[in-house]
Amino acid sequence: MDCPDIRDAFMKGEVPADADVAAHLKGCPQCSELFARDAELGRSLGTEGTVNMPFEDELFARLEDEVAQENGPRAWLRSRPTGLRFAVVAVSVLAAIGLGGFARLRADFSEYPMARLLLLLGVYAIAILLAFAKELYLSIRRGSLADHAGLLVGALGLPFLIAFAPATETSRHTGSGGALGCFGYGALLTLPTAALLWAFDRDDQPSLRTVCLSAVALGLSANFVLELHCPSGNASHLLLGHASIGVAWLAAWSMLRRSRSPNHLRK
Amino acid sequence: MTAYVAGDKHAFRELFARYAPLLQRAMARDLRSAEEANDLVQQTFLHLHRSRLDFEPGRKVKPWVFTIALNLKREFFRRSKRRQETSIDDDRVAEPFEGPRGQERSDAARETERALSALPAEHREVIELHWFGGLSFPEVAEAVGSTVAAVKVRAHRGYVALRARLGEAALDPDPRNIESAAGGGR
Repeated sequence: MDCPDIRDAFMKGEVPADADVAAHLKGCPQCSELFARDAELGRSLGTEGTVNMPFEDELFARLEDEVAQENGPRAWLRSRPTGLRFAVVAVSVLAAIGLGGFARLRADFSEYPMARLLLLLGVYAIAILLAFAKELYLSIRRGSLADHAGLLVGALGLPFLIAFAPATETSRHTGSGGALGCFGYGALLTLPTAALLWAFDRDDQPSLRTVCLSAVALGLSANFVLELHCPSGNASHLLLGHASIGVAWLAAWSMLRRSRSPNHLRK
Repeated sequence: MTAYVAGDKHAFRELFARYAPLLQRAMARDLRSAEEANDLVQQTFLHLHRSRLDFEPGRKVKPWVFTIALNLKREFFRRSKRRQETSIDDDRVAEPFEGPRGQERSDAARETERALSALPAEHREVIELHWFGGLSFPEVAEAVGSTVAAVKVRAHRGYVALRARLGEAALDPDPRNIESAAGGGR
């Protein structure tokens, strides 16, 4: 005798009572509540009949219509297994870093303090991994945005903090010019990843957590690339051309989210 | 589910017939209209369809389906900026579903529905899944993303509160007085 057996008995209108039940109740305070005061609660919950669902056929017909529309590249992409979808996104991030960063290294790369570069890249890499891991975790398990607000604020704010780090000898005298170019460069390189994130999202209207985590991942990826590519140490340049990319992606994703009707399924 | 993943379209209808009533019931208690509940049931199955390749053979389907449904319900409340709570004298308290024992059963079921609807959402959710969904506590824990110990505590507290409310209802059949007698309990 276990909890489901007791539940089934009550649902049949019976009040189970034998030695097995007594033994179970000794170790199960939840079921014990069902039997208190002449099994009042168990009887009451047992009065709940089976669900009458006269609209089942209509609802299923609507669902079949929706499922029938699930075709085309996006439908195929977002039905891929979660691990594969994340692996493809990770490859696109690595490709952006490889093509935009390592293939076009900053002019002062040979003189730039390697320890500092590795530290900054390491911080960005950890933040990117945390954002993606959180997104992967949340796609499987539930979680409220508030639970992860620290990560979101920290990851979005990280490039802004780094912009105020002391400049190196090689980057000290750089001006604020070219910020727009860096902004465009970083945004363009992360555009394929953004397209993949959109295509892979199984929600028709992206959830707020997806919007925030996607923006964080894209912003950090762009800043990783620009750390390798751009020699500027000017705070204004870093704020306008680098750190703002994450915020811009957040705005873009938010606009995309607003443009989607939450009640698209209702007919 | 394995048959559906393999391409058997009839299996989808079987899945729907098996789980849609449970989901509809779980949704209906929190939402203001049957249409909203039906929309979320429909979305749950649409997500299930999109996620079908994530299903691991041997894994239980029910907790997985309820996990999708609960996430959609929470997202619905987040978007509509409504709290996942109900009021005992609110219109959205679901009418009891039809049972085989006529009016007597219907009245008792109505009282139970009202008492359930007045519970805090986190308690009601666990009772819904455990009692009406037929999920074991480990499965409930998986569905709500919590620990077995935590959901057992929530279930116990929910049952205690429910019993108190039903006891009050027996003494005072006016449902508007139940909540005040039980102190709100939220």
